[in-house]
Amino acid sequence: MSPRLRVALLALSGLALLPGAAAVIAGLPPFGATIAQYGERINAIAPDARHVANMVSAINFDLRGLDTLGEEFMLLAAITGTVVLLRGHRGEGNSGRAMRRAGRALIPRSEAVVLACRIAGPLTAVFGLYVVVHATVTPGGGFQGGVILASATLLIYLGEGYAGWRDAVRSHWLDALEGGGALLFALCGLGPMLMGAAFMQNVLPLGTFRDLFSGGLMLIENLGVALAVTGGFTQLFLEFMEETRATDEPEEPGEESA
Amino acid sequence: MTASAAALLPLPVAIPLVVCAAMLATAHLLPGRLPDILATLAALAVAVLCAVIARHAAEHPLVYWFGGWEPHDGVHLGIGFSVDEASGWVAAFIGLLYAVTFVFAWGFFGRTHGHFHILMLLFLAAMVGFCFTRDMFNLFVWFEVMSVAAFALTAYHLEESALSGAINFTVINSLAGFLMLGGIGLIYARTGTLDFEGIAAAVARSGRDPVVAGAFCLVAAALMIKGAIVPFQFWLADAHAVAPSPVSVIFSGSMVSLGLFGLAKLSAVVFGGSDQLRHALPLLLTALGGGTALLGGWMALLQRHLKRMLAFSTISHAGIMLTGIGALSADGTGGMLVYLVGHGLVKGALFMVAGILLATRASIDEIALRGLGRGIGPAGIAMALAGLLLCGLPIGVLDQGTRLVQGALAQQGRGMALAAGAIGAALTGAAVLRAAGRIFLGLGPDPGDEAGAPSADEREKANRPLWLMLAPCCVLLALDVALPADLIEHAVPRAASAFLHRPAVAALAEGPAWLPWTSLTAALAGAGYGLFRRRLPALVVRPVSVTQSAPTRALEVLHSGLIGDYAAWLAVGVAVIAVVLGLA
Repeated sequence: MSPRLRVALLALSGLALLPGAAAVIAGLPPFGATIAQYGERINAIAPDARHVANMVSAINFDLRGLDTLGEEFMLLAAITGTVVLLRGHRGEGNSGRAMRRAGRALIPRSEAVVLACRIAGPLTAVFGLYVVVHATVTPGGGFQGGVILASATLLIYLGEGYAGWRDAVRSHWLDALEGGGALLFALCGLGPMLMGAAFMQNVLPLGTFRDLFSGGLMLIENLGVALAVTGGFTQLFLEFMEETRATDEPEEPGEESA
Repeated sequence: MTASAAALLPLPVAIPLVVCAAMLATAHLLPGRLPDILATLAALAVAVLCAVIARHAAEHPLVYWFGGWEPHDGVHLGIGFSVDEASGWVAAFIGLLYAVTFVFAWGFFGRTHGHFHILMLLFLAAMVGFCFTRDMFNLFVWFEVMSVAAFALTAYHLEESALSGAINFTVINSLAGFLMLGGIGLIYARTGTLDFEGIAAAVARSGRDPVVAGAFCLVAAALMIKGAIVPFQFWLADAHAVAPSPVSVIFSGSMVSLGLFGLAKLSAVVFGGSDQLRHALPLLLTALGGGTALLGGWMALLQRHLKRMLAFSTISHAGIMLTGIGALSADGTGGMLVYLVGHGLVKGALFMVAGILLATRASIDEIALRGLGRGIGPAGIAMALAGLLLCGLPIGVLDQGTRLVQGALAQQGRGMALAAGAIGAALTGAAVLRAAGRIFLGLGPDPGDEAGAPSADEREKANRPLWLMLAPCCVLLALDVALPADLIEHAVPRAASAFLHRPAVAALAEGPAWLPWTSLTAALAGAGYGLFRRRLPALVVRPVSVTQSAPTRALEVLHSGLIGDYAAWLAVGVAVIAVVLGLA
C-alpha cells in the first residue's frame, strides 16, 4: 500500500468513527463530576479497616492486590524478555564480567564526580528505602522506592566506572533479587491461605494509623515489590550497558579499567 | 465440598507464578534439566487443579473473593474469580497443552538459565487468570501479561525475520491493549464498577447508551485483534511463522482462541443486557467470522512456508469460532468452546510436526522438503490425520464443535456464514493435506530450481530424539480423537448455558451430517489439484488459474508486512465495528 493510500484509509476510518466518538464523549459524565462511588467507599472504610493513610497503597496492595501481583509479574516478564533478547546475541557465557569494546576511549573520572557520587549514592539509597517503608503512610511504595534504589546503584557506575560497577553488582544477585522479591509477593498471597483465610487476605496485625508500622501484610508485599523492582531495573541497565559494548566479532578478552 | 473447591481457585494462577519466580531467583544454580521438569510439573498441576475446579463448578459457578473483600451492599470492592464449568475445562485444556508443549520442547532451550520456562509459566498463569476472572481491569492485567510474555517468546530466535515478526506483533497487540484500556475506562465511567455482574446490571438498566456501545466497540476490537479476526489478522501470520515451534503451538492452540473466548464471555455476560448490542452482534460477528474463515483459508492455500500456512489456517478457524459466537445462542457458544479445545489439540499437533521437520530436516519450505519426509513416516501420518480432522473428518472433538457451530448457524438461517465456515475449513485442510502429500509421499511435480526456498535458512536444534517430539504430538491427536463424545454431548448444553448465564437447555442442535463430508471431499479435491495440476487437462486448469490470479495477487499485496498498513487496517476494523453498532 502506498503511504498516500494508507493515510487516506486512516482518514476515512477516522471520519467514520467521528460521529460515534462524539456521541460517546457527549454521554460521559461531565468534567469535574462527583467522585465515583467506589472511590468514596474506599475513602470511607480503608483508614478504619486497614489503618492506612495512603489510599493508593490500600487499593494497590490490599483491595486490588491481585492486579498488582499481575503487574509485578508483567514487569518480571518484560525484564526477562528484554534480558533474553539482549543477551541472546552475546550468549550466556560472558555475562559474568565487564566487556570492553576495542578502540573505545577510556575517560578517567574527575575527583569531584567520584566524591559527589560517593556522597549522593548512599543518600539516594536511604531515600529509596524511606519511600519503600513509608508506603502506607505517605505517597510512594515499592515500585517508586525500588526505582530510586536502582538509580542509587547507577551512581556507583557514574562514580567508580563500569568495571567497578560490575564488581559491585553481580548479575545473578540481581536475578535472585528480582525473582526473590516476586516470590515474596506471591507467597504473601498464598501464606494467608495456609491459615484458612483468603488469598492475600490481610491477616497480620494492622498496627497504628499514620505510623510506620501500619497496614499489616501490605508492608511485606511492598518489600517484595521493592526488591523485585530494584533487581529488575538494575538488571535492565546492566544488559543495556553490555549491549553497547558488544562487538560484532568475538570479543577481546580484557577488562575495562576506568 | 463446593466451598472447599472454591478455595482452590487462586492456585492455578499462583502455582505457575511461584514456580517461575523461584526459578528466576535460583536461575544460576539450577542444573540442566530441572527447569524442564519443574515447568512440566507446574503445568500438569494447573491442568489437574482446573479439572477438579471444573467438575465442582458443574452445578453452579464457583466464586472467590481475593483478600476476603466480599461485596457489601452490592458494591464490589475487591477482585473476584468466577469459574463456570466451561471456563474451568478450557483452563484445564490450556494447562495440559502447556505440559505437552514443555515435553515437546525438552532441552530445546537448555542454554538460557530457564528464561524460556519462566516466560512460558507467566504466559500460562496469565491465561488461566484470563479464563477465571470476573473483573474488567483484572482481565486487562492478564491480557497484558499474556502479550508481554508472548512478545519476547516470538523474538526468541533473534534472526531478522523473527525480530520483524515480533515487532509487528508487539505494535498491533499494544494497540489492542490501549483500545481495551480505553474501553474499560468508558465502561467504568458509566457504571462505576469493574465487576462483571455489577457492570451487567448497570448495562441492563441503562438502555440505549452510546458510552456502553463505545466501550464494547473498543474492548471487542482488542479481543478480536488477539483473536486474529479480519481486518486485524495481519500480525498473526508474521508472528506465528517466526516464533519457535513450541511457542507457536501455544499461540495457535490457546492464545488466539482465548481472545475469542474472552469476547464470547464479555458479550454474553457483561454486555448481554444491551438490546442495541444484541441486535448488532449476530450480523457483525457472523459477517466478520465468515470473511475471516474464507480469507484465512485462501491465504493458507497460497503458502509454501509451512508455519505460515498453519498460521493462516488458524486465522480461518478463528473465523469459524467467531461465527459460533455470533449465533449468540447456547448451541453456538457451546460449539465454539468445544471447537476451541478441538482446534487447539489438532493445530498444536500440526505445529509440532512443523517443529519436527525444522529439527530433523532443517527446512520449513513445502517445496524444498518434497519427499524428504519419507524417513519419518509417523510424523507424516500425524500430519495427514490432523489435516483430515481440520477439514471435517467426522470423528473427535473438533468435529463435534464444528457440528454444533453449524447447527446453531443452520437453525438461525445464516447460510452464508455456514458456507463460509465449511469452505474455510476445506481450504485449510486442502493446504495441509497438499503439504503432507508433497513432503511425506513425494507427490507433485519435481520442483527443479524452485526448490530453493525464498526465505532465509531456518532450522531448529535437533538435540532431541524423534520419539520425544513425536509423542506429545500423538498425545494431542489421540486426545482429540478419543475423548468420549457422549461425555461432551452430555456436558455441553449445561456448561454453555452456565457460561452464558442463561437457564439450562436440554439438548443442542447439530448441523447437517453431510456438511463435514462435503468439506472433506472439497479439501481432498483441493489438495489433489495442488499436487497434480500439471497432469490435469487444460480445460480444468485454465479457468481456475485465470479467475484466481488477480484476487490472489491482491491478497498477497495486502499482507505486506508493513506495520503502517496493519495499523491502518486496524483503524478500518474499529470503524466497521463502530458503524455497525451505531446503526443497530
